[in-house]
Amino acid sequence: MTSAKKLLVAAAAILIATAWSSYLAAQQNVMKQPTAADWAALAKLPDFTGVWERGGAAPRGNGGQAANAGAPAARGGAAPRGGAAPAAGAAPRGAAPAAGAQAGNAAPAAQRGGGGRGGGMQLNPEYEAKRRAYQASAPEDSDTANCLPPGMPGIMTQPYPMEFLLTPGKVTIVIEAYTQVRHIYTDGRKLPQDPDPKFFGTSVGRWEGDTLVVESVGFSPSIRLTGGVPPSDKMRIVERFRLADPDNMSIETTITDPVVLTAPYTTSSNLRRHREWTIAEYICEENNRNSVDSTGKAGIDLTLPGTNSPK
Amino acid sequence: MRTSRTKAFLSSGVVLVVLIATAGLAAAHHSFTAFNMTDEKSVTGVVNRVEWTNPHIWIWIDVPDAKGATYGFEGMSPNFLERRGWTRTTLKAGDKITVSYRPLRDGKNGGMWMTGKMETGKILTGGGGRDGQ
Repeated sequence: MTSAKKLLVAAAAILIATAWSSYLAAQQNVMKQPTAADWAALAKLPDFTGVWERGGAAPRGNGGQAANAGAPAARGGAAPRGGAAPAAGAAPRGAAPAAGAQAGNAAPAAQRGGGGRGGGMQLNPEYEAKRRAYQASAPEDSDTANCLPPGMPGIMTQPYPMEFLLTPGKVTIVIEAYTQVRHIYTDGRKLPQDPDPKFFGTSVGRWEGDTLVVESVGFSPSIRLTGGVPPSDKMRIVERFRLADPDNMSIETTITDPVVLTAPYTTSSNLRRHREWTIAEYICEENNRNSVDSTGKAGIDLTLPGTNSPK
Repeated sequence: MRTSRTKAFLSSGVVLVVLIATAGLAAAHHSFTAFNMTDEKSVTGVVNRVEWTNPHIWIWIDVPDAKGATYGFEGMSPNFLERRGWTRTTLKAGDKITVSYRPLRDGKNGGMWMTGKMETGKILTGGGGRDGQ
């Protein structure tokens, strides 16, 4: 074989190897047509069917702070069918309006843990400085006032229900607040090495016994771990979903970020199933009279419908 | 009589829970900066219009005592309320109602809806609707 031919063979081999590896990579992300056995296998999984709303068991974050005290309070006030008792932990949330501030579109779980200021979350000095700077001149409101969804992890702690859909190779969470959807692939695919930054990140899931374990990476710098604190591109969220009893689901959420956090941050929350509920429409832009401008100043539109003049 | 009943009602835990419910829920979407959360006012008037919309319902009320001004009140979301006894048709244009609310900081007419009492006795709050005593 001449050296030119050897070169040609080597080049061809490299080409084929490259093509094969990209083919394999692409194959990983192909949703295969489910078989009858795939559908039947779903029946063996825990029953996540239906619509769930936060509330129920007393949740905790690092340091024993109530992580999602808002929802139990809401349920107590709501006195809906079923007569859910107001859970302990209502009081911390009630203090928030008096304080008159909101920690941006931060993760409510994180935000609420530790007196509404991301307490229990251990930040590296650079990010601790960001948090302090934010607190020193907190804006009057956050972008959610303009209907921008909060993304992860805050979207999982809204006072609106969500529905879990289990299909072969995928768990879909339909979230009423801001009309959001999370896509969690359970078909064995791997997380991307270099994910695009997203509000929800990119998620894969697996079943460890009766627990759905969801790993997510690649988060948008628009989301917040707590007021004033964005994630780095190294942030990873692991959520463990498990039925605590037939109509209660516990979620343990652990956030790691070697750039922002000095230690993993874990919170727990509880969802209660409402079998008679359906997910409702939530078009935030339908009639949003709240707003926040680029300087952080909040506004409210009091234009009487059908007229041009503010009252 | 009316005042003492109102006082009894306000001092009851019900109001506290409702306040927390309202506050906690609104927080999901926006802050309370626009409202004076430590003040509470009350007006009586006739419903001009109900906006049964997301992210919040808005109830517009003509108030005769205020020279016919129309007050705007922000309430919860239709989604939340419809699951809890306050539906699109519970309160209609023309209904008479007394509303207690957190007033707007800028002094304009309206605020955050706390409790509405209909002539039928029905009570409408951020936590939903229920029959009054």
